[in-house]
Amino acid sequence: MLQNLLTDGLVIGSVYALVSVGMTVILGVLGQINFAHGEYYMAGAFAAWWGIDRLGLSYVAAIPLALVIVAAISLAIGYAVMQRLVDVSFDAGIIATLGISLLLQNTATLLFGGTYQIFDGGWLEPVRVLGEDVAQQRVLIFVVTLAVFGGLEWLVRKSRFGKQMRAVAQNVECCHILGVDVRRVVLITFVLGTTLAALSGVLTAPIVMNVYGSMGEAITLKSFAVIVMGGMGNISGTLLAGWLLGIMESLVAGYVGLQFRDAVAFALLVLVLMWRPSGFFTTKARY
Amino acid sequence: MSGIGSIGPHVAKPVAGGCLVVASLVLLPVVATSYQLGTLVVSMVFLLPALGLNLILGYTGMLSLAQMGFFGVGGYTSALLAMHFGTPFWLNFLAACVVPALVAIPLAIPALRLRHTSFVMCTIAFVFILESVSKNWVSVTRGDMGLSSVPRPRLGLWSGGFEVHTVVQYYYLGLLLCMLAVAALVAIVRSPAGRYMIAIREDEILAASVGGRTWHYRLAAFVLSAAFAGAGGSYYVHYITVISPTVFDPSYTNTVLVVVLGGGVGTISGPILGSVVFVALSEALRVAPELRMMIYGLILTVSVFAFPKGLIELLASVAKRAWPLRARRSHAD
Repeated sequence: MLQNLLTDGLVIGSVYALVSVGMTVILGVLGQINFAHGEYYMAGAFAAWWGIDRLGLSYVAAIPLALVIVAAISLAIGYAVMQRLVDVSFDAGIIATLGISLLLQNTATLLFGGTYQIFDGGWLEPVRVLGEDVAQQRVLIFVVTLAVFGGLEWLVRKSRFGKQMRAVAQNVECCHILGVDVRRVVLITFVLGTTLAALSGVLTAPIVMNVYGSMGEAITLKSFAVIVMGGMGNISGTLLAGWLLGIMESLVAGYVGLQFRDAVAFALLVLVLMWRPSGFFTTKARY
Repeated sequence: MSGIGSIGPHVAKPVAGGCLVVASLVLLPVVATSYQLGTLVVSMVFLLPALGLNLILGYTGMLSLAQMGFFGVGGYTSALLAMHFGTPFWLNFLAACVVPALVAIPLAIPALRLRHTSFVMCTIAFVFILESVSKNWVSVTRGDMGLSSVPRPRLGLWSGGFEVHTVVQYYYLGLLLCMLAVAALVAIVRSPAGRYMIAIREDEILAASVGGRTWHYRLAAFVLSAAFAGAGGSYYVHYITVISPTVFDPSYTNTVLVVVLGGGVGTISGPILGSVVFVALSEALRVAPELRMMIYGLILTVSVFAFPKGLIELLASVAKRAWPLRARRSHAD
């Protein structure tokens, strides 16, 4: 049972990490918390469901479709709202993104109905991993998460764009002087971050099996816990924190009681904020 | 700083305006239908926590999303007292102010160490912790089923007395409570403590440098805002007569945010106007709750860029444009 819970926690934790890393990158560059982040996760899952259920696509085709749709949505929102958030106060940013969250969530509910929609797709055949049967989809989530985090680390540390991202995160005025296009960096980072949330939604939908308009709410709130634990703006810290949250949730659900599972994130959030507000894995963090 | 009361003409206009508004609100049931009055009752339910949010966000500069958590605590407190002990409304109401304030103190100790985003996240976590308690403390709160057939508010000294039944009676009760709450908020923000809270909002380090203990004042703002929210919870639960963990739903928090920010944060009249306008708007859109929330979302997002000072500021600028015209005309007379 323990091993079962651990693998389960690791997969759920990978999902959390994949969503949260987008939020943490946006926070790092823009200095704003994206309260609508879970809605892009929801939008990803819904777009894939729409592709499969309404257009009759296969799951493989639905994945890129969903990513493109969400990237388009976030491009529009990035132009209209997120670019302007560079030089407003943090609470204005929270309120603006909270508004977007309400807008996206209720648009989805209005378009597709308030009931749960069954997500029919994904690869749920079991494979044997370390002497245990695990659904292929779960293995896929784990592998994709590792790949994405590897890619992100490369992007931020090695590429030219990553250098610009780090520059904007450190000093916006200086970037203006040096000719870094701050608005472009913010926009691309935002689209990247939200598309990762969408990817996570698409990959998770076959496991949670139903999609609904308010499914992103809990994800946003759990992402807070993950990015605080990981140290805000820290990429590999986010991965470890996501796994930690996933495993702890799964252990609490298994040994204490299912109803306490969702409280784990918030208890952890408050405890970490109290005793280690810069996260577990950093010596220095931005918050 | 010669005391606000002695300024005279600056204060005479708002006081006269306030009297006019109160008088028309008192007389309103003569012309309004009971449906419209019911809408106003809901407005007043949201106004009470909104006043608390206005105190902490508008005057102290801390964005707390825990308001509706304390609203729920107040509601449960009031309902449980009335159900188990049959206590009169004034006692339930007082308890509903005091208990959330007491709950807020231990929560404030970790939360007030944080600033900015971390503080906001921490306050969101409180709502979920309180929701979790209400769901799992089945012996008291009956879990997800919630408490039903909560007694109606009984206005009496101890036993007996008058029971509030009709919408008109609820309206007058709410009006009384809201007037008391508004008066309390005005008294708080005009007091030396309130001025110090405003100083913290403007610049906490500067405020600390003149010798005050900012922590005490931030604690006071947090606890008082919880008391306001609890007051709203008490009025709400005796009006709706049921309460369940759904009271902690984020949509209520969003409504209060829209009332305060859309109305005019950091002003007295802003949230009052906001509660009437935006709750009435939501009643008009009852057919599609999603549409209502979409509009709330738009208001929040747009207000940040277009009218950061809220509806009241928009009205004021419109009035200013109309005012010189009238002034000139009266001179000509």
